[in-house]
This record gives sequence, C-alpha cells and structure tokens, in this order.
Amino acid sequence: MTRFLIKRVGQAVIVLFLVSIIVFVLLHLLPGGPARAILGPTATPDSIAHFNHQQGYDRSLPVQYVQYLGRLLTGDLGESYKLNQSVTSLIGERLPKTLVLTGLAIVLAAILAIPLGIIQAVRRGKAADYVLTGAAFLAYATPVFFLGLILILVFSQQLQIFPAEAPQADTIGGILSELPALVLPVVTMALGIIAAFSRYMRSAVLDNLSEEYVRTARAKGQSEARIMARHVLRNALIPLATLLGLYLPTLISGALVVESMFNYPGMGLLFWNSAQGSDFPVLLGVTLVVGVATVIGSLITDIAYAVLDPRIRSVS
Amino acid sequence: MTDKLLTIEDLHVEIASRARTVHALDGVDLDLAPGEALGIVGESGCGKTMTALSVLGLLPNGGRITGGRVLFDGTDLAAAAQPVLRDVRGNTIGMVFQDPLTSLNPTMTIGAQVAEPLVLHTGATKAEAWRKAEETLRLVGMPQPGERMKNYPHQLSGGMRQRVAIAMALVCEPKLLIADEPTTALDVTTQHQILELIDELRDRLGMAMILVTHDLGVIAKRVDKVAVMYAGKVAERAGVRPLFAAPRHRYTQALFAALPERAADESQPLATIPGLPPSLVVRPTGCRFAPRCAFATDECRAAEPELTDALDPGEGGGEHAFACFHPVDPETDPVAEVVPPAPEAAPVRTDESLLTLREVAKEYPLNSGPFARRKGAAAVSAVAGVSLTVKRGETFGIVGESGCGKSTLGRMVVGLEAPTGGEIRFEGQDITALGRKELRAHRREVQLMFQDSYASMDPRSRVGAILREPLVIQGIGDRAAQDARIAELLDEVGLPRGAVDRYPHEFSGGQRQRLGLARALALSPALVVADEPVSALDVSVQAQILNLMRDLQRDKGLTYLFISHDLAVVRYLADTVGVMYLGKLVETGPAEAVFGTPLHPYTRGLLDTVNEPDPTAEPTGTPLGGETPSAAAPPSGCRFRTRCPIAQDICATTEPPPAEPTAAGHRVACHFPLVPAGPGAAGA
Repeated sequence: MTRFLIKRVGQAVIVLFLVSIIVFVLLHLLPGGPARAILGPTATPDSIAHFNHQQGYDRSLPVQYVQYLGRLLTGDLGESYKLNQSVTSLIGERLPKTLVLTGLAIVLAAILAIPLGIIQAVRRGKAADYVLTGAAFLAYATPVFFLGLILILVFSQQLQIFPAEAPQADTIGGILSELPALVLPVVTMALGIIAAFSRYMRSAVLDNLSEEYVRTARAKGQSEARIMARHVLRNALIPLATLLGLYLPTLISGALVVESMFNYPGMGLLFWNSAQGSDFPVLLGVTLVVGVATVIGSLITDIAYAVLDPRIRSVS
Repeated sequence: MTDKLLTIEDLHVEIASRARTVHALDGVDLDLAPGEALGIVGESGCGKTMTALSVLGLLPNGGRITGGRVLFDGTDLAAAAQPVLRDVRGNTIGMVFQDPLTSLNPTMTIGAQVAEPLVLHTGATKAEAWRKAEETLRLVGMPQPGERMKNYPHQLSGGMRQRVAIAMALVCEPKLLIADEPTTALDVTTQHQILELIDELRDRLGMAMILVTHDLGVIAKRVDKVAVMYAGKVAERAGVRPLFAAPRHRYTQALFAALPERAADESQPLATIPGLPPSLVVRPTGCRFAPRCAFATDECRAAEPELTDALDPGEGGGEHAFACFHPVDPETDPVAEVVPPAPEAAPVRTDESLLTLREVAKEYPLNSGPFARRKGAAAVSAVAGVSLTVKRGETFGIVGESGCGKSTLGRMVVGLEAPTGGEIRFEGQDITALGRKELRAHRREVQLMFQDSYASMDPRSRVGAILREPLVIQGIGDRAAQDARIAELLDEVGLPRGAVDRYPHEFSGGQRQRLGLARALALSPALVVADEPVSALDVSVQAQILNLMRDLQRDKGLTYLFISHDLAVVRYLADTVGVMYLGKLVETGPAEAVFGTPLHPYTRGLLDTVNEPDPTAEPTGTPLGGETPSAAAPPSGCRFRTRCPIAQDICATTEPPPAEPTAAGHRVACHFPLVPAGPGAAGA
C-alpha cells in the first residue's frame, strides 16, 4: 500500500511538472508576446522592448522557465493586467468560494445518489425504478440556468424560503454562516450530479447483484439488506470513485453559470471575466490551478480505488 | 420416509424471462438418507443445477417452484418463508459453487467470509467465529490458515480458493453439502485433491452430499447413488455400481458410449447423440429423449414413460429405476451396441516432418511500460526450450495443466506471437524470420481453432461473412467462387447451407465449434492448431466434434496440433503426445507408449490422478499433490522437482537433458525416468 502511494504521488509530481511547462509555453505563444497583449496594438517598439526587458522576457527561454518555476514555487503567479492585483491573491479570494459551493454540491450528490441508485437497482423494473429513472433523466436534461431560474422563482420569489443571492462573505466560515443562502446554488448544481451519479450507482449495483459472490452470500443465509450493506456496496462504489475524481476539476473550473446566476464571484466568474478582458496571467493562473486539481482528482481516485479494492493494492 | 434427510417430490420449476417461460424441472423425484452421497449427472440444461438450487430456494431471477415438495428434516423448503430458508442456508445445508473466483467476494478478507455464517447462525462473537473459521480452514487443508485469514481471494490459487469455499460451506457443520460442479473450473491434480478432501470431510463429519456434475469420471468413486437427468426429468436412478455396470435408460447408455475413455481403440469412431435436447419452452409429448434415440418407436413418441421401480438384480438389490419403454438389455455390452462401425480407409500418416520446433522459448516481461527494466529483469517463463517434430498427416497432442504454456506454444506456431528464443520451422522455413508478406502466406497453411468459438467470432457478422473473411484477406477467388467454397465448407462440417444468413448466437455450442472448424479449414491449411476445441462441450457433442475432426483429417490429410488438458480426449485422438509442465516438454512419444508406460513422474502422476468413469477401478499409484509453482520464479534444475515423489539433490542443480531410455522416439527429460524393470512395473 505504501509503495503504491509513493508511486502514484511520484507520478502526480511528474504530471504537475509537465503542466507547468505547458502553461509556460502557452504564455509565450500569446500573439505578439505578453507585451503586445498588455500595452495594446498602439505600443511603440521601444516601449515593447522596454517592457520585455523589465519583465525579463528578453532572456533565453530555459532561463525564463527556471525563473517562472521559481516564482511558481513561491506562490507567485504574476500580476493581473486589469485588476491591479496579484493572480495569487485573486485566486486565493475566489477559490474558497468555489470549493465551498462545489464541495457541498458533490457531498450532497453522493449522499443522495448512492441510496437512490441502490433503491433503483433493488426495485428494478418496478414503479420506484421507473419514477426515479424518469426524474434522473429530467434533471440531467434540464440546462443548469433553467433549473436555477425555476428554483429561484419557486423558492425565492413565490415561497420566499431561501434568498436568491448566494452568501457574499469572503471567508469559508463567513460563507458557511449563511447556510440558507447557500441552499439554492448548491441544489442547482447538485441536481445534475445526483442524476448522473445515481445512474452509475444503479448499474454498478445491478452488475454486482448478478455476481456469483452474492449467490454465495445468500447460500450462507445472509439477508438481502445485509448482503447489500456488507457485500455489494463496497464493490459497487469502485466505479463511482472514478466518477468523483473526474468531477473535481470540472467543478472547480465550471461553476460559471451557477456563480453568475446567484452572484457568487468564484473561479468560474474570474475565468470568464479574464477571458473577456484578455487578462492572460489570470487565465493561465486559473488554468494551472485546474491542472493541479485534475492531477489531484486522479490521485484521489487512485487512492480511493486502492482503499476499496484489495486487488489494485497488490498489483502495483 | 421418515429416515430420509431430504426428499424431493414431484418438483416443478419454471424460469420466466421476458420472452418465454422455460419448464426447467418437470416432476423430479429424489431422496437422500443421512450421510448418503447422491450424484446428479446430465448435460447442460438438463436441470441438475436447478434441482440443487431449488433445495435452498436460490433459483435465479424469474425462477420459481411451481409444484412439488422439498422435505428437509421435516420442513418443506419449497413452501417455506424466507426467514426459515435463511436459517437453513449455510447452517444445516452448505453449498459449494463451480467457480471459486467469482463465488467469493473480491473485497472481503477470507477470514470475514468464512466466519460470516457462524456469526449469522450460531450467535458466536466475532472472536469466537474468527477462531472457528481458522480451525475450519485448517481442516480443509489450507496451509498457514492464520495468515490466510487476512488475505483476499485474488491472493490465492484456484485450488486454495475452492478450499475456502468449502470451509465456508462447512463452518456450521451442516447435515447436507450441495456441491455444484465443484471441480469443473480446476486442473486435474487440484480436482483430485478437492474431491479427496470432500470425501474425507464427509467421513469425518458424517454429512450427506449432493454432487452435481457433468463429468461421469468425477462421480464414479465419490457417491453412493446416481440420478441421471435429461430435459428436466430424472431419466434413471440407481446405485453407482449398478448404473455404471449396466445402464438401462437409452440416454445413459448413449452418454457412456460417447466417452472417449470407453472407446475400444483409436480407429473406432465415438458414439454420438444426434440433435439437441428439447428447449423445454413447450412441454414435449412422449419420451423427451425419443427424437434423439436410436431405439425410439411410435410408443415412445406418443406416451411419456414413467420412472419404473425395479429392484437391481445385482449387489444388495437396491433400487434401480428408469423411465424407458425399451431399456438396455442388462446382458448386452451397452457401449458396443451403439458405437458406429469403423471406416474402412485408415488415415494416411507419413514420415515427412511438417513442423519442427527447436528450443522454442517465450518469456513475458513482468514489468511493462516506458519505465520497465531492461534485459535480465523479472519475466514469466511461459515456454522454456521446447523441441518437437510434427509429421504431416498426424495428430500431435499436447497435454498439461493450466499455465504449462501449451496455449502459448500453439499461438507461436500459428504466428500470433513471436518466440523470444529458438526457431519454428514449417515445411523447412523458419517462420520467426518471415516478413509481413511471407507471414500472410504462411497463415494460409496454419490455422487456429479456438476453445470458445462464440467469443472468437464477431457477434454482428453473419456466418457467410465470417467464413468469407479469410478468403477475402488472402484474395482467393471471386465472389461466386467464394460462395461455392463457403457452401462446400458448411457441407463438410455438417451444417445446413442456410446457415450463411444466420448469426453466431443462433447456434448451439457444438454447432459453433463446427463453424470454428469450418473457418479454420476455409483456406485449406496443412496444419490446424486446435486449442482445447472440445473442453466447453457436453460429452455427446464432444464426441460429434472429435469424430468430425477425424473424418476431415482422413479426407484431407490434415495435420492437427491438438492442445488439451483432457488426457482421455488426447489419448483417443492423438498419434503422438507431448506432456508439458511449467513451460517444459517433459515427455514426448507415441500416444500408446506415453500413456501405456509413462517415463516421467509427472506423466505417471497425471495418469494416476485422472478420475476414471468406472466405480470399480482400483486406485493406481500416487496421485499428484501440491500446486504448480509460479512461472515467474520456476524451480532451479528440473522444474517438476518440487512436486516429484522421487526427486534427488541432482534435480535441484541440473536440468535433466532429454533422453530415450526405452525406445527411439519416446523421449523424456528426467534424471530418474521410470523405466519399467519388468513387465508391467511402472510405479515409483
């Protein structure tokens, strides 16, 4: 197990290193270089040369890369062109917000989707299965903005139970202290994920229920409920672990619609606004963070696999 | 009736799927006294497994008992509620299933799985259950049971897993053990060990047993009485000795006659049962076996024979019941009566060597990928220095247990894998040195026939397209010529020409194997490598395929490299035999010499281990113990020495060179070959 972990973490570090190279190359592929991007199309060659010298862009690429890597390691992602703020502090402000939102959405989705999937599998072909399957497809097919609008209309405008605006605090503690305001954005985000997860869970449980080890458990005299809890659940969670890992990066980068709908300035809005304003250091900073999240996501998946499945532990 | 442990009366089971309802069991009557062992035999789909499963109420989805009773210890399990059934399962009735890998939970430790029934049924604490589980594992012969308790199923070998499954079934000391094909997924030597273990445990614990199997060899010496099932009914029921000595039902007779072990000699074709068992969707009228029976009359087709009670005239006068209007006369030889006559023309064998292997080796690196270590790193030695010669027109049989490298060898001969050492010469040409184009031409001459023809055919291709493909790839003939060739092939393997428009899934297992043979023959090859071509088939169908392979060999002068784990089949079909163990060819020679006077202790052990379908056969020699070591770390010197009863120090240090101590052509690689000292002395 320890060897497995060391191996996987080592691989993750190598991938992160490659990510940093790609982001660095992207930085230098900007049309006309970063100077043109910042100073605008009317900049004189002199001012560009001055800017490049000032920023160190006139040195050789390897030297620049080493400097870039050095800055990365000290947490310096450069300065935003537009917001007059360091990229690190910008991401530092926005990331916790997104993490709270997506984290809660994923946790909620997992908590609901696992039992829902089990119910569908156990009641396969019966009314409960059809109703839940229909609901899952409906939730999956509804665009997030439309779902959000309906939720706002019903729960905020009509029933006035939850506010239509997400918490505006800047710290995690502050955001969490306004729980009612989190309900609508989290639910909006979670519904689609619940739909997807529960479908996966349903088919994983069905697959496992037809396995012969379940028949063996029945032949031991075990009850159906305990067969599910003791035998099937763990085996059925293995495919779900992959799905969770895959969701992590998408949720860090892709909460744009929910964020803008509930006025919740997280990573999605930051990325969107920077793209609109050609704020390249911020864009690349966000790209790097999402890259890191992807790598960490797959690392978590691998570890979850190893915890759930003893066969993987001993192979590696 | 009260002295019976289990009584099954007029049991009816239906299995409903979306499209149809199958009457899987249609009035089954069986009984079992405490401590007695009953064998249920029959071919696939006859209802033997359904009978076993319905005792515990474990029928598959859509299955239910529609009539009859299953009395166990005074309780009717067929009508019992779930809690009553759960109390019996794993407690007073234990069950062992066929595949020990899939029937264990992959993510639970062995200990937890073995202890589970105890916690459920005896109210033992976790610690007590754990202790008892360890004790039971020791009882089933698990080495270091304490360590193994913490292992997961994938860390054990197949034989050890089946021991775990048996421990699970026995941990509550049941009165009845139901074993459903418990050894079918295992190697010959492991099979023997497991059967011995079950025997011994039955003696010690005094439990009754139902042993369900398709293999007549398995039940011959393990049970007291046998029920032969056909199409959801019991066809014949008798003590094991009377049944094997004088089967009365025509189906039982045909089953025995189809066994390659019972063939008088190799030139004689095997008896086959034409056609297929009925589908059981519609209840057949008349005797269910009548459409396939050579002795059927109008009476058989009109009325269904009842299971008649007749006392056995032989030993003890036990019950011998059979459902047949025209039973076998107990005075005649049941096999000779139905075996077809031998063809006049003997097969043509030549002395011209077609295929020569010299020191062929294949190693698979253990670590792959960009960071794998270089040469000299850990590797699995699948085939290690095999040399042999196959003559044109003969059948060369390769036998060995799983993992001995026999399939890898076959794949190298066909050119699907490149050897890592040695050379393979086909018609004098070294095929390892062939370029792409030459290799394509070579493939015309050497074709492969697979064990699982269904898995090896594109399920979305029609048969016509499957048979045409090799012709198209090799650019043979125009469309019309190809059509003619396909029709000819179907004729040759005995399939209707209309088959071209059908898909593989529409055929039965035996028909698919015919298709596999037709595809292999499409290019008129000189050599067909047949890798376990009959191991997935029932005995009667196996006989059909073996006969067909022989007929085609005689007509076309084909050469076969016949790979199998089944000694009886190889003995029947092969002219020359090679015995493989852990990547090495340990013995090779004419079939009658190798099987008659084996020189290598492994061959001797294999032959002693085989379950003869004869309850009166005396146990010979010493069956093989232990397990095959890993091919990733084969033993030094002679690879067999770790299991060899006569191994000496030299065996660990020096690899035995091949020698021919008795007759030319009968080669053995052993320091101490079992050269017979006098007539008949062969044991060690």
